[in-house]
Amino acid sequence: MNEGITVLKVRDVLLVTMPADPDDATVSALQSRTLDAMEQHDVKGLILDLSKVEILDSYFARTVAETAQMVTLMGGETLIAGMRPSVAITATELNVTLGATRTVLTLDRALDLAGDITKRKSVQTKRLAR
Amino acid sequence: MSEPEQGTVPILFEADIAVARRVVREVAGRIGFGVTETTRIITAASELGRNVFKYAGQGLMQWRIVQKGSARGVELSFEDHGPGIADLDAAMVDGFSTGGSLGMGLPGAKRLMDEMDIRTAPGEGTTVVVRKWRRN
Repeated sequence: MNEGITVLKVRDVLLVTMPADPDDATVSALQSRTLDAMEQHDVKGLILDLSKVEILDSYFARTVAETAQMVTLMGGETLIAGMRPSVAITATELNVTLGATRTVLTLDRALDLAGDITKRKSVQTKRLAR
Repeated sequence: MSEPEQGTVPILFEADIAVARRVVREVAGRIGFGVTETTRIITAASELGRNVFKYAGQGLMQWRIVQKGSARGVELSFEDHGPGIADLDAAMVDGFSTGGSLGMGLPGAKRLMDEMDIRTAPGEGTTVVVRKWRRN
C-alpha cells in the first residue's frame, strides 16, 4: 500500500518523486537516497516532485528543507515541483516553510528550468576555461 | 449494517502516525469534507499523533463522528500517559519545542481545526481533543 520514493537520473538532474502519503521512515529516507544519488551521479541538482503528495506535515517539510540545504552544500540546486493547492494552503496555515528552496508549478516547468540552469552553468564553465 | 461512527488507533510505533492519517482520511471522506478541509484535518492528526509518539512514546487516537444541530463533524482525541506539558501557554506559541522539532504541532493543529481542548498535568499525561465541522 505504502509506495516508496523513486529516484531517476534525467539528463543532468535527479528526479526524485515522493509518494502520496509517506510514513516517517520513507520521509527520512528522502535525505539519504537523495544525497547518495547526488554522489553517485554527476548531476547539477535535483527536482523534487511533490505532485503526488497529499499531506506535508512539519516533519516532512523540515526534511525537505534540510535535504535542499544539503544539496546546496554539495554544489547542486533543488527545484520543488508540483505542490497541490490543498497542500500549499495547509502548509501555510501550519506555518511551515521550505526555506529558500525554489519552487515551480509543474514538473514540465522544472525540467525547462533545469535545462536553463544546465546551459547557464556550462556557459560559465566555458568562460572560465578561456 | 452501517459503518462505525467511532474507533481507536493505537500509536505505538512511528509508522502508526501514518496509520492514523489513513483512518482520518477515510472518516473525513465519509463525512463529506472537501479536499482542502480533509488535508487540514489529516495534517493536524499527523502533528498531534507525532506529539504522542515523540513525547510519551505511546498513546492512542480516538475518532468520532459528531453532530451539532444540522452540522456534522469529526472529533479526534489524542491521549497519552507521558510527561504532560509543563507550560501550556508556551507550548501554544509557534516555534516553542522541548523535543527538538519545529514546535508547530499544537499551535499549527489548532489553526487547522475549528476547536481544540487540552487536558494535561505534569507526570500524568496529555489529552488533546480537536474538532472540525463541515460547512454546508
